[in-house]
Amino acid sequence: MRRRPRLLGLSWLPAVVTAVGVLVLWTVVAASDWIQPAYLAPSPLEVWDAFVRANTYHPVGGGVDRVVRGEENYFLWEHLVVSLRRIAIGLVLAILVGVPLGLLMGTVESVRRVAGPYLDFLRSIPPLAYMGFLVAWFGIYDTSKIWLLFLAAFPPIALATINGVRGVREDQVNAVLSLGASRRQAVTSVVLPATTPDILSGIRVAVGFAWTTVVAAELVNGLPGIGGLAYLSGTQNKIALSVACILVIGLTAIALDFVIRLIERTLAPWRGKA
Amino acid sequence: MTATSVRTHSGAVRVAGVEHVFGSRGAEVPALDRIDLTIEPGELVTLAGPSGCGKTTLLRLVAGFMRPTSGNISVGDREVRGPGAERGVVFQQPTLYPWLDVRGNVALGPKLRGVAKAERTARADTYLDLVGLTDFADRRPYELSGGMQQRTQIARVLANDPDIVLMDEPFGALDALTRERLQGELLSLWRATGKTVLFITHGVDEAVLLGTRVLVMSPRPGRIVLDEPAPFAAASADVDPKDLRASPEFAELTRRVREAIT
Ligand SMILES: Nc1ncnc2c1ncn2[C@@H]1O[C@H](COP(=O)(O)OP(=O)(O)OP(=O)(O)O)[C@@H](O)[C@H]1O
Ligand SMILES: [Mg+2]
Repeated sequence: MRRRPRLLGLSWLPAVVTAVGVLVLWTVVAASDWIQPAYLAPSPLEVWDAFVRANTYHPVGGGVDRVVRGEENYFLWEHLVVSLRRIAIGLVLAILVGVPLGLLMGTVESVRRVAGPYLDFLRSIPPLAYMGFLVAWFGIYDTSKIWLLFLAAFPPIALATINGVRGVREDQVNAVLSLGASRRQAVTSVVLPATTPDILSGIRVAVGFAWTTVVAAELVNGLPGIGGLAYLSGTQNKIALSVACILVIGLTAIALDFVIRLIERTLAPWRGKA
Repeated sequence: MTATSVRTHSGAVRVAGVEHVFGSRGAEVPALDRIDLTIEPGELVTLAGPSGCGKTTLLRLVAGFMRPTSGNISVGDREVRGPGAERGVVFQQPTLYPWLDVRGNVALGPKLRGVAKAERTARADTYLDLVGLTDFADRRPYELSGGMQQRTQIARVLANDPDIVLMDEPFGALDALTRERLQGELLSLWRATGKTVLFITHGVDEAVLLGTRVLVMSPRPGRIVLDEPAPFAAASADVDPKDLRASPEFAELTRRVREAIT
């Protein structure tokens, strides 16, 4: 239940004050000489500058008279899109496998007993542990990263689906069977829609998990990729750019979460009401 | 509805030596104790009894949601092994689907059978009109009051045209006026279609007025302690229920049913 703010427009005031406060504090710290060497503490303006440079054609600088495209030949937003694309592919595969598997495991007791322990096992492995193995199998390019994201995203989706199926009210299934539904129809016309809210929560968890994983996975041959860029710029002492990447990564995570919540609200508006 | 009278009826409901015990060894709850009952096609059987005596249990066994601990249940010459479209169920608590609007809920049965959209929508609207919910066809179930949800559930079962209708206190959540109207609708529908109905109710008056046969169950474990024919449901449609209620026969049967319950 969200309460409508009484004085319209004042509800976001604390947030703005806090943000301004953080920026001021950051500027003061960056301008002071508390942190040495000074390049380790770029000011907000320097970070903004690095962000803009990374999204435009700009001179290399340092007296060299050459213009380059963004960073590492890609604009920053292109790095971001590449990472998002990896997530999207891994996630779609995870949904395609996780949801049917979850439905099957949720509805058929024997399948759940057999496959359950393996799923629990998979879930308990930090995805990055697979990385070396996956590189050996699928090489250092995108295939191994997409496999990694798939392995990160599919257990939470499958588990949420199973939970959802088991939470479906028995009489909702009985009712549709009494209307003449076959077992299959009962799954597609009642169990699946009744489970949609849980599946979406599972996807939300999976996306958060996959985003953390992809950024980390791009430490190895991650260019183009926003995680790769964040890492590389740090190792090259381009701290302002690295900070810009970190901010972009965080804001993207929040945006992704927001989008999924929006999808949840349109696809399952009854959530919590029935 | 003409289709119903043409179609061969599923046959009598037979409950033979049925006992039902809930729970496992150590914590057993005997709910039904040797129920023998035959409901002939076209009968409108009302079942009354104290709360917790096993009425819902009996209905769920006939619906095929569970198997009796012992004894067996059949419809026609086929044993009941699970739910089926010929036995429509109006649940004590409405079980509507929140991802469908009210019309979609009512049209679900025909949809599962592959009835074309225009036809099943028309069918749904007919029954929504019958239960007085035409204006709410496009709403979601959770936007309806409890009584309206119950009426939607009734419409959903009727739109699926089952031979046998199992109703678990369907009018319990309704105001007196709506209840009386729906009682009337149930009777005229039953007269027009010849459906077999098992109707569970708390109300002695309702049991006597609606049933061609009135059953009363004892406290748990439920046994049938009264089984009497009742003439009022079969009375012609233009007789006012008020006049029926005023008759000495009505008062007499009501008294006997009330006595059996307590
Ligand atoms: N799933 C169950 N597990 C265990 N016990 C149950 C279960 N369902 C019902 N019972 C028990 O069986 C008995 C009969 O229950 P039932 O629901 O059939 O009563 P009822 O006659 O329909 O009552 P009411 O008029 O209040 O609806 C009750 O004592 C109840 O506690
Ligand atoms: Mg009951």
